[in-house]
Amino acid sequence: MHAELLGFGALVLVAGLLARAGRRVNLPTVPFFMLAGILLGPATPGPVLIAHPEDLSLLASLGLVLLLFHLGVEFPVQQVLGSGKRLFVAAGCYIALNISAGLALGFALGWGGHEAFVIAGALGISSSAIATKLLIELRRLANAETPVILGIIVIEDLFLALYLALLSPILSGAGSAGELALRIGISFGYLVVLFAVARYGARLVARVIDSREDELLALLMVGLVLLVAGISAEIGVSDAIGALMIGLVVARTTVRERVERLVLPLRDVFAAVFFVVFGLSIDVGEIGTVALPVLAAVLLTIVINVVAGLVAGRLFGLNQRGAANVGLTVLGRGEFSLILATLALTAGLDPRLGPFIALYVLVLAVLSPLLAANSRYLARVIPDRILHPGWRYVREETISTACTHLDRIQITESDAEECPQCVATGDDWVQLRMCLTCGAVRCCSDSPHNHAEEHFRQTGHPLIRSLEPGEEWRYCYVDATLVREPIGSTRP
Amino acid sequence: MGKGIVSQDLPGIGTRYDVDLGSRSQRLSIVVRRDGVRDLYIFTSGSDDPVAVIELTDEQARKVGALLVGTYFAD
Repeated sequence: MHAELLGFGALVLVAGLLARAGRRVNLPTVPFFMLAGILLGPATPGPVLIAHPEDLSLLASLGLVLLLFHLGVEFPVQQVLGSGKRLFVAAGCYIALNISAGLALGFALGWGGHEAFVIAGALGISSSAIATKLLIELRRLANAETPVILGIIVIEDLFLALYLALLSPILSGAGSAGELALRIGISFGYLVVLFAVARYGARLVARVIDSREDELLALLMVGLVLLVAGISAEIGVSDAIGALMIGLVVARTTVRERVERLVLPLRDVFAAVFFVVFGLSIDVGEIGTVALPVLAAVLLTIVINVVAGLVAGRLFGLNQRGAANVGLTVLGRGEFSLILATLALTAGLDPRLGPFIALYVLVLAVLSPLLAANSRYLARVIPDRILHPGWRYVREETISTACTHLDRIQITESDAEECPQCVATGDDWVQLRMCLTCGAVRCCSDSPHNHAEEHFRQTGHPLIRSLEPGEEWRYCYVDATLVREPIGSTRP
Repeated sequence: MGKGIVSQDLPGIGTRYDVDLGSRSQRLSIVVRRDGVRDLYIFTSGSDDPVAVIELTDEQARKVGALLVGTYFAD
């Protein structure tokens, strides 16, 4: 008993320290919890703090249940329902692209049909926590594309419920197609029942767990959640989905805000334990054997996400920068992929799924903040014609958008008073324009030679400004638009 | 919402309020997170990136708000 407590305590402490070190450079926490488990687990050479991970399985499932319960409680139902059709289309495209790519890769790997279905989910469903933290850290909450990103990941959470409802019957190992259909029917019927409880029975549920004292509310809440999760598992629907749905039920009650506050620290601790325990089950020796599939999966995820970002960008009339941000911010994979891996391993699927998903999550955990922070480089190479048709939205709907090429501005003033090319040939010009990248002064499009545009075609420098006295406007050749006077320019 | 303030839902985070300060050179966005934290996004430079982002706790935000309203603090 003493030894167990000692090993477990040390393990959790190491996990926390590792994650804290990662946070210093803005890496997500979940992969580090898992890493601590991998490094100090029985399958890895070196110190072993926990020799029998299965002893911790109850604590781990508590973590899984609380994680999904919290997701349900804080699910912003009203915001999602009020967000309009376009967001559902964008999220639907995002999910469809990612899930089908994952499914294709899963079948290409040839580990089996059930395995492919798990891989589809693990690759397709992003981590809301990672994306949300990234947006805050990259100071992008005021950006035009941010509501789109948040909307997509929230709808993904909703999709998770449906996916889980489909997954557990499939994993349950039904013998015939009829039996499988029956189990899927039960699973979705159960979802409908819980939706009905959320709709009509919320007051009753509140009466069961409500107490003026936080202590009792916390206890009653945990009891109810575990009971519902257990019942769900008992009738062949996974405990995860039961926890998620009871979270949605509690979200409709009067105690919602207090529950949200009380469950948070519990979730943080036990979810971390869940990730650590998952790490313990990973055999380091097997990671080498899945390196190539993981590489393929990571590349596929990045490409598909960029494509999905372009689709969303086009739908919402975002510019290159917005589209690149959508694609590269929703890259992080974390809690859901690991939950799916756990469900798959418990169901006795191909054991390679464990190290495969673990390594996949780790690689993307490091890559996704880096890629998201450097999305401007992607924005620069996105051809204009992909996004252009959506631009009417910009004018109609005041989504704040600016030219993506503002970072190419190097020089903004010039005292030149002539177009050197016109002077050289002895021609006249009407007005003067200046290239904002190199400062070259050329004549305007009303002039006979339009040397300014010629300069753009030769150099690719996208932005010009007018040099006429009193005129401040800028024009971008690539975006073919007048550039809004940069907000905050201090010039009069 | 009052004139000059545009609100925008940020699902899972909270609500963003864009304050039109009447000049093209300044813009302010305030994000009220569900956990009570407020982020002030301040735009005064020539790009779409904020020049400063200030994160305030619930209590700090109240104090700043009171000052902006014109409440006088003795101490």
